[in-house]
Order: sequence, then C-alpha cells, then structure tokens
Amino acid sequence: MHLLEVENLTKRFGGLTAVNNVTFHVDEGELLGIIGPNGAGKTTLFNIITGFLRPDSGTVKFRGEDVTGLEPHKLVNKGVARTFQVVRPFRHLPVIANVAVALKSPRGSRKIEWLKTTARKALDMLEDVGLTDLMLEPAENIGHGSLKRLEMARALATEPDALMLDEPFGGLNPLETDFLTKSIQRIHLDHPTRGIVIVEHKLYALMKIVHRVIVLHEGEKIAEGKPEEIAKNKKVIEVYMGKATLHA
Amino acid sequence: MVTTYLRRAYSSFAAHVFDIPPRLLALLLLSFLITLPLTGLNPYVISVMTSANILAIFGASWDLLVGRTGQMSLGHALFFGIGAYSSALLFEFYGLPLWITIPLAVVIGAACGLLIGFPCLRTKGPYLALVSMAFPLILSSIFYFFDDIFKGEFGIRGLPSFFPSLATKDRMLGNYYLTLLLLFISAVILYKIANSHTGIVFVSILDDELASKASGINVTKYKLMAFTISGLFASLAGAAYAHILGVANPPLLSLTWSFVPVIVTFLGGIGTIYGPIIGAYIYYLLDRYFLTIIIEIPYELIYIRLLVFTLIVAIIVIKWPRGIGRFVTDKLEDLQEGREIEEIMAEREKKKKKKQK
Repeated sequence: MHLLEVENLTKRFGGLTAVNNVTFHVDEGELLGIIGPNGAGKTTLFNIITGFLRPDSGTVKFRGEDVTGLEPHKLVNKGVARTFQVVRPFRHLPVIANVAVALKSPRGSRKIEWLKTTARKALDMLEDVGLTDLMLEPAENIGHGSLKRLEMARALATEPDALMLDEPFGGLNPLETDFLTKSIQRIHLDHPTRGIVIVEHKLYALMKIVHRVIVLHEGEKIAEGKPEEIAKNKKVIEVYMGKATLHA
Repeated sequence: MVTTYLRRAYSSFAAHVFDIPPRLLALLLLSFLITLPLTGLNPYVISVMTSANILAIFGASWDLLVGRTGQMSLGHALFFGIGAYSSALLFEFYGLPLWITIPLAVVIGAACGLLIGFPCLRTKGPYLALVSMAFPLILSSIFYFFDDIFKGEFGIRGLPSFFPSLATKDRMLGNYYLTLLLLFISAVILYKIANSHTGIVFVSILDDELASKASGINVTKYKLMAFTISGLFASLAGAAYAHILGVANPPLLSLTWSFVPVIVTFLGGIGTIYGPIIGAYIYYLLDRYFLTIIIEIPYELIYIRLLVFTLIVAIIVIKWPRGIGRFVTDKLEDLQEGREIEEIMAEREKKKKKKQK
C-alpha cells in the first residue's frame, strides 16, 4: 500500500484545465519532487491533495483511505501537513507561538498536556529548522527566509506522515537554500517512514535531494522517473527550454 | 542552566503572546472602584458607574470575538437585547425570581451566540459586519410586530430590581457593587480564556484562517466557541442592565448599543480584554461629564453624542489602528524591550571584561 495515492485527478477553472488526469503515488520514506514550468498546475495539484480545493474528478487516497475533498484540518489530523508557496505566518504571534498553534491541533497535541511541554516541544520544532534565535520575535518582524522555515516547523509540529512542501526554496538566496536542503534531509533521516512531497521549479536544489521526480506541463504529467533520467528526458528539456528547431 | 533558559523563554513567551498587563494596575483600578462610593459621591455618579461596569462586561465580550478572533460583529446589541428580553419574558410569563431568570438568560444568550455563529461562518470581514448588523434589527422588528407578547415600543416593564427591600440610595450602592462583582468575574474569565491555548488559536484565526486550517485547527469549532462565549457575557450584561433599569425595551437592540462596545474597545485598545473595561469608564466620563456638564448637550440628544463618539473612534482608528490603550502599552513594551536589550548587552560586556582579566 502506498502512503499517498493520486488517481486521475482533474481540475478545471472555467475553460482552463489546470490539472488534467494526473496519477502518481508516494511511498513511505520517499522524497518525491513535482516540477514543471510556471502555470503547469503544480500548486493546484497540491491544493487538491491537501484539501484546499475540490477536484472535478479523481481520487486522493491516504494510506488506502479515500480522502478526496476532505477539509484541510481533518486531513492534517490524519497526517498530511503542508506549507504554502507564499508564506502565511500568524503575524501577531511570536515565532514560537506560531508553532504552538499547530501543537494545539488534535494531532499535534496527542502527547502534550501542559503549556510548558508545548513550549518545549515548540522549541524542538524550531531547533529542527534552526529558528531558536528568533523564537520570541513576532512573526511580522522576521525575514522571508526564516518565515519559510517557520512554515515548515509549523507543519512538522503536527507530526505528519506525509509532508507537503509548496516551493520551499522560493525566494531564498543560495545560502538559505543550502541550509533548507540540509534541514529537509535531516528531517527525512529522523523519520524514515515519512513521505515528503516537494513542489518546485528551482531544479538545481531539488534534484539533489529527491528520489523520484514527476514533471507536469499544462496540467498533465509528462514524465516520471529518477532525477538523472528526468534531466536527460527530451520532453522535459523541450518544456523547459522550448522546442529545438532543427536545421539539418 | 537549561531549565532557567526554558523558564525565561516561557515567561518571555507568555509575556509576548498574552500581553499581560501589569497586575498591579488592575488591582489599583479595582481597589479604586471599590472605595469610590465610600468617598460620599452623589447617587447620580454611582448609577453612571454602575452602567459603566455593565458596559465594561459588554465591551470585553465584544473584544474577545472581534479583537481576538477577528469575527467582525457590528450587531452585538443582539446579545445584549436577548439577555434583557429573556430575563424579562421569563419573569413576565413564569414569574420566576431574577436569581433564576438571569442565569437562564445567560444560557439562552450563549445558545443564541452558537446559533448566530452558523450563518456568520459563511461570511468574512465587511460582509460579516453587515450580516451581524442585521440581526438585532430583525429581532427588534419581531418584537414590534408581536406586540402582545413583547409589548412593542414600550417594552416589558416592572422588572424586579436586585435589592427590592433596600432604600433607593442603598439599592444603588448594592447595584454598583453587584455589577462590579459581575465585571470582576467576567473579566477574569474572559482574560483567562483569551490568554489560554484556546486564545492563541483565536489569534491565529484572526491572523490567517487558511494557515490555521493547515495547522490542523478546526476553525469552525473555534469560531463557534468564540461566538458562544461572547454571547454568554454580552447577554449577562444585558440581563443585569434590564433589571437595573427595570425595563427591557427595543432601544436595547438599537444600533447605539451595537456601536458602544466598538467605541469603548477603541478607546481602550483592541484585542486586550482589559482595554474595553478601561474604555467603558472613559466613555462614561466623556459622555456624562464632558458632554453633559461641560458642553451641556442635553441628554435627550443621543444621536449628537453618538456622532461625537463615532468621530472620536474614526480619528482613533486612523491615527492608532489598535486603539489608544494599545498604543500606550505597545510603547511601554518597546521601552521594556529596550531595557532588556540594554541589560543583555551590559551582561555581555561584563563577561568580556572578565575574560580579559
């Protein structure tokens, strides 16, 4: 049984088919990358899987159970947590309380009863992503790179079985990208059964860490395979670089 | 070493998240309010202060819903009116004593908060404000229409007062201390709720609903919880007010009573719970002292007074969007933070010097 299964997922916005008949799966302990040029439907696909959008047809299964169209918070409590492409921190709350909110969710609070443990647990999460220095700052005061990491800490606080990262490297400088790559790898090593899905169009950082890649183009899956294979795939290169006009 | 670090982190965490106001200030205000009647003030001032106590409960309940949870309600008079009318109707039709009707009215108010929460879940921001504004108007139309039950324009009169056996002056004192006690209890409960785990989740909904959902929070549940709690305390204020006036009438459902909690909250500081309590006293000071005695606007011209206050609120919202009180406490916090940073810097320098030695 796969951890997460997506079957024939389709979503239309008016005349535009954003996601067209996409099928793929994620296994336990797998790092899956979903790539594609801008407007390929990556984020839409992501929003459908995490319950923020309803698909027109197709199913999403988590651990064999049909979770299509389930409300986001219910999905989180089943074990599918996500981050956002555009960061969405709780701006009035300090960094550590941002994480504490996720710990207050039924899944996040499974083992926690006292506020002090919450604070301690939140500190652990912040340590995972290297944010302990900033923990008391209100989220509105901290930089974009840190907010990206905060999002991840918040998602981790619900102890997800499937972690969905929507463009985690978006807007990060090379140094921050490097740091985040290491965090993701560490998180992966710490929980070997956790599946991680990363949507990204920055290929360089992504290709180094994922085990398998899916390529989307205009809503359709055009390729799937190991990063090395994908990098050589003609169709993918065509999509990214444009058609090579051959003059013999 | 680790535990002290954690304790410091926790207390700092608490101070930031919970915005704890200096407890001393709260105690000072309370003792001032307790001793106030002993200075031999005239009964008029006491009765005004009694109204201020009730308005403080009402304002604090609005602040939990709007300032903390971000559910913009411009129809809070609904709960005020429901509290007043439930207690009055229970007295009128079943002849129950007020020690039973008021708790029942509070339960009905909380149930109405839950009920009103459902349609309000579907709307957000300005739309929610409009929807909520309609509810008290709907209810007062119903009261006008079925005037054989609700007694229409005149309202239900002759409600029992809290201390019927006392003389007028003592009764006023009794009302004052009773409302002060109610205020104290409500304020402590509301404040505890706002600063609990649940309170943090409320703020997270105010900040970003989608992100709350993504953190596994059942936003619907928490919103309904906020509506219920808010409705409970607002109807308590309404029921107590009706028994002090001796009448439950449609003006309790008017726009004035919907806007007054907004005014007091912005006078005091939004999202603080203690803000509207301080704001309520400032409001009555301005209204009954400044406008009535200094400027001499007759009390009957309620709309002129409301105009003055709405103008004041408009200016506050433009100038200090989180209220005057919040502006002051934010400044104080900045000062305190500055002092803490100075302390840390001083400690570091000391350590450096030690190392040099």
